Amino acid sequence: MTKTLGCWVALAALALSGCDSMDTGEPTEDQRGDGTATIELAEFPDRPYWGDTHLHTDLSVDAFGFGVRLGAEEALKFARGDRVRSTMGMDAQLDRPLDFLVISDHSDAMGATRRLYDTPRILVRDPTLRRWYDMMHESTNQSTMAVAELITAAANDTIPEALMDPERQAVATRELWDSHLALLDRYNRPGEFTAFAGFEWTLMPDGNNLHRVVMFRDGSVKTGQVVPFPGIDTQPEQLWDYMAAYEANTGGRVLAIPHNSNLSNGMMFDLVGPDGGAMSADYARQRARFEPVVEATQIKGDSETHPFLSPNDEFAEFGVAGWELGNLPLTREATPDMYAGSYVRSALLRGLTLEQQMGVNPYAFGLIGSTDSHTALATGDEDNFFGKQTNVEPRAGRALASQNLGTRQGRFGWHYLAGGYAAAWARGNTRAEIFDAFMRREVYATTGPRMVLRLFAGHDFADSDWDGDWVRAGYARGVPMGGDLVDRGRAPVFLVSALKDPEGANLDRIQMVKGWVDANGVARERIYDLAWSDMAGVRRRVGGAIPAVGDTVVRREASYTNTIGAPELRATWRDPDYRPGQRAFYYVRAIEIPTPSWVLFDAKRFGIDLPAEVVETNVIQERAYSSPVWLKPGRSPGAAASPAGRE
Amino acid sequence: MIRHWLRDPLVHFLIAGAVIWAGLALVGEPVDPASRTIELSRERQAGIAFGFERMMGRAPTDAEMDSAIERWVREEVLYREALRLGLDEGDAVVRRRLATKMDELAGAEAALARPSEADLERWLAKHPDKYREGDRLTFRQVYYSSESAAARALASRDPVGEPISLPAKAVAMPLAQIRGTYGEAFTARLAELEPSSEWRGPVASGYGWHLVRLETRNAGQTPQLSAVRDRIEADWRAATIAERRQRAYALLRGAYTVAIE
Repeated sequence: MTKTLGCWVALAALALSGCDSMDTGEPTEDQRGDGTATIELAEFPDRPYWGDTHLHTDLSVDAFGFGVRLGAEEALKFARGDRVRSTMGMDAQLDRPLDFLVISDHSDAMGATRRLYDTPRILVRDPTLRRWYDMMHESTNQSTMAVAELITAAANDTIPEALMDPERQAVATRELWDSHLALLDRYNRPGEFTAFAGFEWTLMPDGNNLHRVVMFRDGSVKTGQVVPFPGIDTQPEQLWDYMAAYEANTGGRVLAIPHNSNLSNGMMFDLVGPDGGAMSADYARQRARFEPVVEATQIKGDSETHPFLSPNDEFAEFGVAGWELGNLPLTREATPDMYAGSYVRSALLRGLTLEQQMGVNPYAFGLIGSTDSHTALATGDEDNFFGKQTNVEPRAGRALASQNLGTRQGRFGWHYLAGGYAAAWARGNTRAEIFDAFMRREVYATTGPRMVLRLFAGHDFADSDWDGDWVRAGYARGVPMGGDLVDRGRAPVFLVSALKDPEGANLDRIQMVKGWVDANGVARERIYDLAWSDMAGVRRRVGGAIPAVGDTVVRREASYTNTIGAPELRATWRDPDYRPGQRAFYYVRAIEIPTPSWVLFDAKRFGIDLPAEVVETNVIQERAYSSPVWLKPGRSPGAAASPAGRE
Repeated sequence: MIRHWLRDPLVHFLIAGAVIWAGLALVGEPVDPASRTIELSRERQAGIAFGFERMMGRAPTDAEMDSAIERWVREEVLYREALRLGLDEGDAVVRRRLATKMDELAGAEAALARPSEADLERWLAKHPDKYREGDRLTFRQVYYSSESAAARALASRDPVGEPISLPAKAVAMPLAQIRGTYGEAFTARLAELEPSSEWRGPVASGYGWHLVRLETRNAGQTPQLSAVRDRIEADWRAATIAERRQRAYALLRGAYTVAIE
């Protein structure tokens, strides 16, 4: 009798599970849509809005396996500034709330590990799944190992079919997706906090990272008409087809953001097409259309450039160590000939070359940073780092442990960066305004600090512009970051300003990174120092070099002082190496004075002695990367595909 | 007494269960795990087909539909056999999952309930601070890179300051935005100042020092219910669900005697 009753109760409970979520009220029309006409907008983008476009919760197959038990609701609460309890039981809160968030759980087997975990063990029939299941239930450590195996299996294409079969997943995915979209709408508040729908498309041939985050502009009325597109066994062109169909069928908008090119072994920004033959103009056009922005920095390293590619760049080594060794699971080592396809600056150069050949630039993208946190906690702050995933939430020893993502070789906890943020120049905080800033590439990346970075390009800017309303002048007489400047036969002039994070470190310098194709068709790069602290004083330029800014970091205390550096740096800069007809891009890099990374904060907090090498690697100069401005030939020989031309 | 009973979560639970059973019996869904008859209704088939279409963007072929149905049947057979063997017992995951579902059941009615205006008004009256808008300040500021320069400039009626890319004038700016733009130290100090036609300072910030003329301070009001209805309804619902779960548990717990050796 007891048993029968037990079954009845079990089934009653199952039958009711359709209404199981913590459903808390209907969202309004404003919250449900893209936010158009819901708030008063500024005349032009007047402030950067801060966000993370790359966050995983317990719906991600790997994040759940890594141990996270926080879902999207906790992630949204945390991002908007509430205090939440982390999976490992610690209070977690941001010093400063974020303005927007894209929850980007993996589309492949969305929710599958959680369902596997929730399934009675006897029903897990596949022997591999059964073993992972047991590991997940044993401990967080074992759970992490199960996922490491899962990532390797995905890379080697040996995932048990039972876990990935799209048909079997379809119904479950739709239920998850619908309730997820309803939740996002409830938390989306035009003018206060923007919650975007999205997912991560996780293509990883041979373990080479070709992942994209897909981000929707719209509310559930439109996003509810599709489900996330799986990555296994698909190609980028199919993803773009999916995106094009979404736009055509719903009237909505969607974009994709490639990330961790540094773990792609040269495949992310290849010179050739996906089949190894010449890249077609159609491929290039599609890519430019759907991928206007690239994530250049995050927890798993910084992808701006590599010292091998940029030997004259003294700041090129940031976030490279460990990650440069090979692809994501380290099933294949990287060789230097692969680097040009793995880093952002060389990709921008390749884009110019390809544009010269085909008339289309596939790699004309803007830059953002994000976290890629798998803890449901979107924090990129060094003094508040909750780890890549749940098993490395704050605890003694996490900095020195090997990462154990597929291999124990070469990558350690201290190679993780705290992660970055995306800044969007927008007229207000709505889905439409911030998404559109991404589309026109008026966005920038930081490695965590909230610096305010402005870049305008024109032909007649002068120092006197700084005396008046220079932002208005910038928009009226030039183009902002992300824009195209049409060549007029004379050198472009730039207005550049970087204002420090009000709670953070002073600035060392601002630089212009220029890439161009010279008269012989060779792609070149050069870095110009535009302004630095104490320019006229102790740091007067001697010969070609600028004296280093100094270093106030007290290693043991994880502290520094703003007695060096400058609160703001500005420059009016005319390109001295301009040649008429040149194809070029220009982006700004703003560099902070040295500060302690999360590893030194950990060492102080837990009283750990770190090896000297680890200590010195973790005195870092954080930075911001603007999106480039492109200098375009005046008489365009071919129709240049730019994201602005998508209407 | 009957009114009390009707408000009882356990009663809701039992009634909900009965309703579901009645409902399932009527539509002929497989309800009895001991039964060896599996009926695949039209609705169920349509659900399977729809799931396929939603993912693949096209209807399944006959062969694909057959294999999808076969998979569903296989799962159902194994599920029933597992229940028959009692495999749901003694499994920590099943135990926890069912406990969670009991919790959800207790809160389910609140999750769907429509609170009355009076409920929400009461809620707002009980938690006014939670919904009070932040203060909005209107002020001017000028910036100095050194404290002494700022202090000297205080004597001037019209201090000029040094260039910095911060708004020189803020109009009815919410405290949260002031904090994001000028930093925590500046905002904390500003919050203490009284509006005046005089310049005050030096006020320290993450950038240096400022002189500030605070023109007006609009204290944040507790908003009308209509302005924050969604938020209040969401919060009311979350709290109500938690409370009902607790009450349901207390009721169930009362029927047990726990002996800890």
